[in-house]
Amino acid sequence: VRIPVSWLREFVDVPRSPEQLAETMSLRGFAVEGIERAGKEAVIDFEITANRPDCMSIVGMAREIAAAYGLTVKPGPKLAALATANKADISIAIEDADLCPRYVGAVADVTVGPSPPWMQARLNAAGVRPINNVVDVTNYVLLEMGHPMHAFDLATLARAHIRVRTAKPGETLRTLDGQTRQLSSDMLVIADAARPVAVAGVMGGADSEVTDRTTAVVLESAYFNSLSIRRTSRQLGLKTEASMRFERGADPSLPLAAAQRAIALLHMIGAGRGRGRAIDRYPNKTKAPVVRLRRDKIGGLLGSAVPDKEVRRILQSLGFTLRPTPWGWRVAIPTRRVDVMREVDLIEEVARHYGFDRLPVTFPALTAAPKPVDPRITNARRLRATLTAAGFSEAMTFGFMAVAAAAPFAHVGEVIPIANPLSENFAVLRPSVLPGLLDAVAHNRRREQVDVRLFEIGSRFSRTAGERRAVGCAWTGAGNPAHWSGGSRSVDFFDMKAVVARVCETFGAAFHTAAHQEDWLQRGRAAAVLAPDGSRLGLVGQLTPEIADAHGLPAAEPLYVAELDLDTLEQAAPVRLRIEPLPRYPSVTRDISIIVDDTLAAAEVRETIRRAAPPPLVRIAEFDRYQGKGIPDTKVSLALRLVFRSSDRTLTDAEVHDAMGQILEALKNQHGAIQR
Amino acid sequence: MPDSLEHPAIRALRELFDAQLPATTTPQALKSLQDAYVGRKSGKVTDLMKQLGTLPPGDRPAFGAQVNKLKANIEAALDQRRADLAAARPPEGGVDVTLPARDLPMGRVHPLMRVRQQVEDIFARMGYEILEGPEVEDDHHNFEALNMPPDHPARDMQDTLYLGVPIPGGTWGAHTGRLPKAQVRAATLLRTHTSAMQVRYMKTFPPPVRIIVPGRVYRRDNLDLSHTPMFQQVEGLVVGSDITLADLKGTFEAMLRELFGDVRVRLRPSFFPYTEPSAEVDISCQSCRGAGCGTCKHTGWLEILGSGMVHPAVFEAVGYDPEKVTGFAFGLGMERVAMLKYGVDDIRLFYENDLRFLEQFPL
Repeated sequence: VRIPVSWLREFVDVPRSPEQLAETMSLRGFAVEGIERAGKEAVIDFEITANRPDCMSIVGMAREIAAAYGLTVKPGPKLAALATANKADISIAIEDADLCPRYVGAVADVTVGPSPPWMQARLNAAGVRPINNVVDVTNYVLLEMGHPMHAFDLATLARAHIRVRTAKPGETLRTLDGQTRQLSSDMLVIADAARPVAVAGVMGGADSEVTDRTTAVVLESAYFNSLSIRRTSRQLGLKTEASMRFERGADPSLPLAAAQRAIALLHMIGAGRGRGRAIDRYPNKTKAPVVRLRRDKIGGLLGSAVPDKEVRRILQSLGFTLRPTPWGWRVAIPTRRVDVMREVDLIEEVARHYGFDRLPVTFPALTAAPKPVDPRITNARRLRATLTAAGFSEAMTFGFMAVAAAAPFAHVGEVIPIANPLSENFAVLRPSVLPGLLDAVAHNRRREQVDVRLFEIGSRFSRTAGERRAVGCAWTGAGNPAHWSGGSRSVDFFDMKAVVARVCETFGAAFHTAAHQEDWLQRGRAAAVLAPDGSRLGLVGQLTPEIADAHGLPAAEPLYVAELDLDTLEQAAPVRLRIEPLPRYPSVTRDISIIVDDTLAAAEVRETIRRAAPPPLVRIAEFDRYQGKGIPDTKVSLALRLVFRSSDRTLTDAEVHDAMGQILEALKNQHGAIQR
Repeated sequence: MPDSLEHPAIRALRELFDAQLPATTTPQALKSLQDAYVGRKSGKVTDLMKQLGTLPPGDRPAFGAQVNKLKANIEAALDQRRADLAAARPPEGGVDVTLPARDLPMGRVHPLMRVRQQVEDIFARMGYEILEGPEVEDDHHNFEALNMPPDHPARDMQDTLYLGVPIPGGTWGAHTGRLPKAQVRAATLLRTHTSAMQVRYMKTFPPPVRIIVPGRVYRRDNLDLSHTPMFQQVEGLVVGSDITLADLKGTFEAMLRELFGDVRVRLRPSFFPYTEPSAEVDISCQSCRGAGCGTCKHTGWLEILGSGMVHPAVFEAVGYDPEKVTGFAFGLGMERVAMLKYGVDDIRLFYENDLRFLEQFPL
């Protein structure tokens, strides 16, 4: 709210410069957005938190400033009493007292014209455009007292009658901004005998607008239900100075005083004269709530007792009424303070004006043993250490993406749309961390970064599985970095498989891979990563050129990706870590070289060897795979190193020889393997 | 024989040699120099000796001795030079140690995670439990239990992204082996803060509570210099029988000084629906040491986190007795901390994942 300092001075003797005032008030809960100067006038722009509608005015801020500096608020201009009557050239009926607890209406004869320059200057300074003297007066009251008002052209109101009711189905209203609004039956309207003339508390109708030809107006000063105004304002997409105040909570005690002030102002600027009477419909008077404030609770919450004298001074200067009791006070809350409902709210008021800076500094004592960190956080940290050591930098990408980016990575129907997305780029929750990662790779690739390794740890979402955590990795460029000694090559499948192995090892989880087909992975270069029980941990492979291209990546350059499910990996990790005794007997190593079909998976060869071999076989390692000269077409030469070792004795040559015989026999029988 | 009596021809030759020797840097050049002076057949010293016959007989012994001495000195100097040059050669199998190393690729932890881990470590040492919670939440845990009933104006402060369809909700608690049924609700929105986890925690465990919950949160904000629709938060909660606002002050002073170094800390009253009293916490601006500059909008202070004493309505919603316990809660944005700590002025840099940015952070 923009507060011109000269206007403020009418209500409180501002003791210091606007800058010092801003500094002090920001420590009382009113942050200052800025201070503007125009000639002699300084305008302070205070940020009013949503709970303090009572401060969205000159008088409201004057009250806070007075409390902050130990001053008193000046009474303001004297107002001529306005007699209330049942009928005063108009009639008023509240038909929904829940949505409109109070309605004050008064008729004034007016001569419409521009308002005086001083009034226009103040409105402009406060950020409100002057319209004409009558409307300007209602806005002046709004800015000064914080109470929204409205003026209707009396001549336009059918039968000089005002009905406060909900809209009827199908009713419309052309509002002051020229738009025709469709009204719904839960919206409160002001109507005359025939039709709606205003959306209550939000905006008036164009047909009853005050114009140059207007000679008499009805001044409306009402109090509306905040929730109702908020809903209506949201439904119509219409936020006004009035609706902003009503939806946060206006003061039910103000309507009559606001009407008096408006009439006094009309008179003062020569714009018109009230007819001396007003109608005040207020069927159920709002009572000031009384809240107890216990002395020991103040100290208990703030960490330091506040002297009684200070408590009284602060609360009284803010308009609270205190009745002392042995344990503290019973405090009557002014109706404008919609934010104060409980004891803590009063303690906050005390703390605010006592000063947070005067409270002591202590440290909370531990009264129970701290619990361990969520294992998912420790696991993610270890994973981060593993992957950074493998040359991968951590990326962070958004949890949502465009429909097209998500589509290849999830079955139709599994992707979760966002109901109210900000843009098409954020239309669905990500089904995989990979699309975001690919964008990050593309960003780097476009900026002369040829070798890119990135990973991300984060949640992904699907309709049936809900939220699950995953780690994604992407690698493009060199498999091993260029060096003057030579030996650089492009990244390949086995580089990425090594990363997968590192990730699984981080969790102590065993895994194997099996050929797999996935639309977004290159055929023949894609694998499922499986736990020993066959459950899927994730996928690894080369991205198809089509998807690479869709992300703006050069389609010709290999890009390998992997994504593993962290929730599954954590389940696959061993519960207890047990250490094996170290070997006490020497091992025996034998190499074999066989020729088999080139479609035979290495995993099958291993499996055959493992099944055929007696228990002392402790290791199998492929060390050469060769196709070409000397090997028939569709065949491959495979060389393996086998390591035998017993835990209880030294193996004899004969034992190993027998084992090798069994292994070769099995390879021959099952795969037609020929020993080279 | 004193130098003053040195024969002029000998002296000239000695000085010439002394000047030429340091310029020889290879074995080949040294050999040429040797041949030029003390070569068996020719050579300047040998030539001098040949002049002996032209001298008066009385001078001959002295001259001969001087030439011999010169020859011995030159040969010794050549030997020394040869040894020095040999010593300067790399040994067999030696390498040029100034050539570039082989690259040992090492990635970087994301700066936001770097900051988050630092914050986690600070709180862990203060005895806080660290938890993660689901990013998709339900209205109850994200809003209602935090004193924000439907249509509450404060919901405007956190413009929410809603899911088009409900999905299976948060599974927090699985790792603790006990997951109260009341916590399993269909998720309908992206959490706007990690406070939702505080509700889940309090509904599961009795006080005292001392937790922080780091994680990603979502708001319906457009992407610009200082806003992203997703950002990283660390929220904390302390509940006990006599937790005070003074404890909150002490905790933040300790935490922020560790995070930012020697800064001053101040509290400003503010408003959050789930705390009362509420406070924004500022630190003194490090760029200008509080004098006022562009970074701190000429106030000398930088807003760093939101906090306050837990609202009794929140305690009531989770079944705690607000007459018996008090507590404080806070929320800290990792982007804000990282921007201040590292002098980053565009928040989008954190989400572009440009290696030229990431690699400026140490390992």
